[in-house]
Parts: sequence; structure tokens; C-alpha cells
Amino acid sequence: MDSAHLTERTMQTMADDIKVQARNVQVFYGDKQAIKDVDVDILDKTVTAFIGPSGCGKSTFLRCINRMNDTIPVARVEGQILLDGEDIYDRRVDPVPLRARVGMVFQKPNPFPKSIYDNVAYGPRIHGLSRNRAELDGIVEQALRGAALWDEVKDRLSEPGTGLSGGQQQRLCIARAVATAPEVLLMDEPCSALDPIATSQVEELIDQLRQDYSVVIVTHSMQQAARVSQKTAFFHLGNLVEYGDTDDIFTRPQDPRTESYISGRIG
Amino acid sequence: MPVLWILLIVFAIAAAGYVLGARRVDALSGGDHRRLHSRTTYYGWNVALFALVPALLLLMLWLFAQPLLIERTVSSYIPDSAIAEGETRGIVLGQVRDVAGTLNRAVSEDVITDVEAANLQPDDAEVMDRLKAAELPILTTPEILGAAKAHRRMVETASTWLGIVVIALALLWAGFALWRTSPDFRARNVVEQVIRGVLIGCSCIAIATTVGIILSLVFETINFFQLYPWQAFFFGTEWTPSFGGGSELGMLPLLWGTLYISFIALLVAVPIGLFAAIYMSEYASRRVRSLAKPVIEILAGIPTIVYGLFALVTVGPLLRDWIAQPMGLGNSGSSVMTAGLVMGIMLIPFVSSLSDDIINAVPQSLRDGSLGLGSTHSETISKVVLPAALPGIVGAILLAASRAIGETMIVVLGAGAMAQISGNPFEAMTTITVKIVGQLTGDNDFASPETLVAFALGLTLFVITLALNVLALYIVRKYREQYE
Repeated sequence: MDSAHLTERTMQTMADDIKVQARNVQVFYGDKQAIKDVDVDILDKTVTAFIGPSGCGKSTFLRCINRMNDTIPVARVEGQILLDGEDIYDRRVDPVPLRARVGMVFQKPNPFPKSIYDNVAYGPRIHGLSRNRAELDGIVEQALRGAALWDEVKDRLSEPGTGLSGGQQQRLCIARAVATAPEVLLMDEPCSALDPIATSQVEELIDQLRQDYSVVIVTHSMQQAARVSQKTAFFHLGNLVEYGDTDDIFTRPQDPRTESYISGRIG
Repeated sequence: MPVLWILLIVFAIAAAGYVLGARRVDALSGGDHRRLHSRTTYYGWNVALFALVPALLLLMLWLFAQPLLIERTVSSYIPDSAIAEGETRGIVLGQVRDVAGTLNRAVSEDVITDVEAANLQPDDAEVMDRLKAAELPILTTPEILGAAKAHRRMVETASTWLGIVVIALALLWAGFALWRTSPDFRARNVVEQVIRGVLIGCSCIAIATTVGIILSLVFETINFFQLYPWQAFFFGTEWTPSFGGGSELGMLPLLWGTLYISFIALLVAVPIGLFAAIYMSEYASRRVRSLAKPVIEILAGIPTIVYGLFALVTVGPLLRDWIAQPMGLGNSGSSVMTAGLVMGIMLIPFVSSLSDDIINAVPQSLRDGSLGLGSTHSETISKVVLPAALPGIVGAILLAASRAIGETMIVVLGAGAMAQISGNPFEAMTTITVKIVGQLTGDNDFASPETLVAFALGLTLFVITLALNVLALYIVRKYREQYE
């Protein structure tokens, strides 16, 4: 893994292309502050991992990037998050089209109680990404192939998505997110409900998705962060403690808290 | 001894048994309750239940069997010759019971003494006069008077023995349970067994009652079909019952009225109830929800007769004066439209409350998933939440439909009593339920088809609503697990 990783990282630094910039982001749930003054640059065509102990705010921060926190009445976000240089918390920005550009995969697989085909076609249909059935078929197939699920389900596209196994369901949800053609893909602990085999399939998938998207993944597993990401951010008690290349974070952490966490002393 | 006294004594024995049982095991354990198999209360309950259950069972059996046995013995006092022409043994036995009852009242009101009652003869003029003066005259044949005196005697003896036997039984079993009590005795298992038996008994009562109701409907319906052809009942389009004979008892006009009114009611209740539920579960803030939901549910608590008054006094005249008469559709205040509208209002809370629960049961993760793909709130509701909740909503609608079909009071006051088949919703029509009431009100002759038809109508209604309920449950069950 190491040699491949290194070359990729050099490529990454060459094509240094910032996709999402967070500036002084603070999040409050009622009176409680969940995120304190976070600044972070997320790169395009890179997998960025958010790690940290439970309740450290990593999922909260992830949900800021596509304004999913808007659905929680007591949540309040301050500061700026720029997507391609444009502030997504600007008054003029509508969260609905934003979420089409910044897709999300959730912790628990949540396929709709519809057929596999309709699950994947949901986003394209809503956003009018196809003009006819043949085009839609193409998008669905491409998305399912992208999620490494096509071969398993191509003969039963009309069966309910809820009938698939847990790992297949999660890949279906990834295909559903991919079919909308987002620019950034947010994944909130996508493997926490999966067994090791399904986990490794999803991880392989994340590695492929990096070709086309900026992927941000929240994970509890440091091994997973080390396996799939190129950049890692360590959160602790609502603060972004350390952010850098994954290899550096895991081999030469700068902050004593990061070192304690990755060596298993806190968390 | 009166039964109430027997009951009180048995309960007192049980209470004493509870205390004694608990104390005894406490003493036997030497104060260390860890040595006991069960907690002390179980030992107490064990004694109490042993005192109660056999005694009460015997009491019940005795009270059930006593009248039957006494009746049979008393019957032997009356020779066939004492039964007048045109009377049956049953009627004479009824007279015996009446006379015995009169004597009992006379004794309890101190008109005559117990001894006088026991030795009363028809020619005992002085006692008879006192009875007459107290407005408790006894005018009967010597045979019946004799039988009545025997009846009284036997009831008296029986109730004395009943008291003795039941109390003895309670004491005996309590003593046995107390004797058996020891720290190793598994009192908890015994008590739990008894409690389980009681629970099973209660559920059996509910089931047996249902079966009984259905059987009585079925038997009366069979009687009806022996008097009236079933083809004419199910397919007849005329409903003209007349107790003089020559009635037409076709149920189609009633079925038509029932379905027409229910249809209009659902047309009102389903959209309003469903949209209210969507607002409540998807848009309303917590404060609005906590206020509005109970208010809507108050509608469900209003007695249907009040809705009926509303239909009769307000809605009916309003529809007649503002819509039916100007458009030349009818002059009747009672109409299908009146009953349907008011019944629809009645059903709104059913539909909205059930649908609200069902929509709330759709997991938040599905909404998040849809919003996360960039769909709007209303797209999420119409494309994800409602399809997921649809089976449950259909179930709710079917339950509301079966309520509508069984509804009576609103229809009596709102739609009138005219049995007819017509498409005009501003004409008076009537339903199966209203005609059941109509056929059974007043003096009934349970041998005429005009009365018995009510049971056939009831059974028809029962089958229709049962089928709807079963269908609703089936749909709800079949699709419930889809998103779990």
C-alpha cells in the first residue's frame, strides 16, 4: 500500500485543488457548542477522513458541508463554508440544489422501500438528469457499476432494495448518491453497520470513487482511516486538533492528543 | 344465609389465610428469607387463593344448579290434572315462583310471620285478609300454593347448606394450604399457575361472548330464511315491511344507502384527515402539534348522537336551503349528503390520528436519505414518506370505512328512513343499521319475518365490516416490515 500511496500523494500535491474550505465554523445545538472554530481545506479527488472519539463533533461538522443540520431545528451554524469559493451558508444559497452537488451516505443503510432501480433512479428523476428511459437506464447501470453492485443485482432490478443484505444495501445507497452526479461525497461512518467482508468491499469502492469525487468519510476505525484516506483530520471535544497527510498523522502526530488517541490512550 | 354474607365470610377467611400463611413461613424460616423458596407474600397468596378459588367455584356451580334442581322437584308437586287447558307446565312453574316471591315479600315486610307463611292454607281467611290489605293478595289453586310453599322451604334449606358447605370448603382448603406451607414449598409456582389460569379464563370469556353473539345471529338468520326466501332478501329491490303480511324485504335499497353514505363520508374524511396528518407529522412545530393533535382527537370523543343533532338541525337545513332547493334537486332536509358530510367529519380524527402515527413511524433515516440527495421537503413527502406509509394509511381508511358502515345515529337523524335506490345525493335514503333499529323497536313478535329480518341484516353488516377489518389488518401486517 505504501508505495502506491506515496505516488498518489505526490500527484495529489501537484494537482492541489481545494474543493471545500471551512473558515471559523462554529455549530451550536441550542446553548451547547458542538464545533469550535474549525478551519479546514478539503481537496478535490482525495479521500479525507475525520477521526476522533465519540461526541467529538466529526459527524456534526460533516453534516454542515451539505447543510443537513438545517433539518435539526435547534442547530445553528456560524462561520463560512466555501464550496468552489462560494459560501454555502450565504442567504442566497438554497440547500436543496446544494445537496445535489454534495451527496451523502449515512451510517445505517437507508434504501427507500422501492425497487433497486427506483432507488438509484430517485435522484436523477428529481433533478431531471435524463431525457428518456434509455438514458435513465444508462445512469442507473453506471451508478450500480460504480458502486460495484451491478453484477449482483442486474437480474433483479425490480426487486425491493430493502431485500438486499446489509453490505449490498449500503452499496446501493452509495450508488444512489453517485447517480445524482455530486461533486463531493460525504460518508458518515458508512461501514459501522457492516461485517468485515462488506466493509472491505465498500472501502475498495471508496478508493475508486476518489478518481471522480472529493470524498469525506467519518470513521471510528483508525485502520479504516489509514487504509482509505490520503488526508486525515482529528477532532476532539469540538476542536479540530490536527489535520494533515494521513501517513503523517499516523506516524508523526504533532499534537499529544492525537498521539494519545491513535495509540489508544483516549477515545 | 344470603349469598353476600357467604362471599364476605369467604373473603375474610382468605384474608386471614394470607396473613397466617405469610407469618407461618416467616416463623419457619427463622427470619432469614433467603432460605425460602419464594417471597413471603407468595406463601400468603397461596393460602388465600386455596381458600378462595374452590369455594367460589362451588358457589358459582351451586347457584347455577340450584334453580334447576328445585324446579324439577317442585314440578313433581303439580299433577298433570292441575295444569289448566291451554297452559303449559312452564307457565304453571312461573306462577309457583311468583307466589313464592309474594310470600317472601310478605314475610320481609312483616305482614305475616315466617311460620304463618310456611303453614298457609287457601282457607286461612285471617292471614289471607292481611295479605290482601297489604296489597300482596294470593289468588291461586291449592296445588300451586303447596308447590310454592315447598319451593320456599327448599330454597331456605339450600341456602343454609350452601353457606355451611362453602365456608367449610374455604376453611378446609385454607387449612390444607397452611399445613403444606414450609420454606421449601414452591409457593410462587403455585400462585403464578393460578394467576395464569385466571388470565386465560378472562380471555376465554371475551372469545366465548363473541362466539355467542355470532351464533345467536346465525340461528335467528336461519329462522328468518325458513320464513322468507334468501334470494328475495339478497336481491330484492323493494323494502316495504308490513306486520300484516305481504312484506317485501329486499336488502338492496338498504345496502345501496349504506354504501352511498359511507362513500360520501370517506370522500370527506380521507383527504381532510390525511392532509391534516401530513401537516401534523411533517410540517407542524412541536408546540402546534401538541395543541392541535388533542383538539382533533376531541372530535373522536363526541357521541355520534350529537353529530346526528348537528346533521338534523344545522347541516340538513343548510344544504336544503342553499344547494338542493335552488338547484331543484330536492326538498328534503334529510339526505344522503347531510349524513355523509357529518359522518365524514366524525371520521376525520380516525383517519388523521392513525395516519399520523403511521407517518411518524417512517424512519427519519429515509427522510434524511431523500433530503441528502437534493430533493425538496415536498418531494420527500410525496415520493418517499407517503409511499412507505401507504399500506398503513390504506389500513386506516378501511378501518374508517367499517366505522362508517356500522354507524347508526347520524344516519337516523341525517338521512331519514326512506328505503330507496337513487343516485341523487340530496334525497333521503336509509341504511341497514337504521332498519335494524326500526324492525326491533316496539312490540316484537319473534316468529314473524318482519322482526327476524333484523338478524339477517345484522349478520350481513357483521360480515361486511369483518371482511373490511380483516383486509385492513392483512394489508397493515403484510407491508409493515418493509422499512424495518
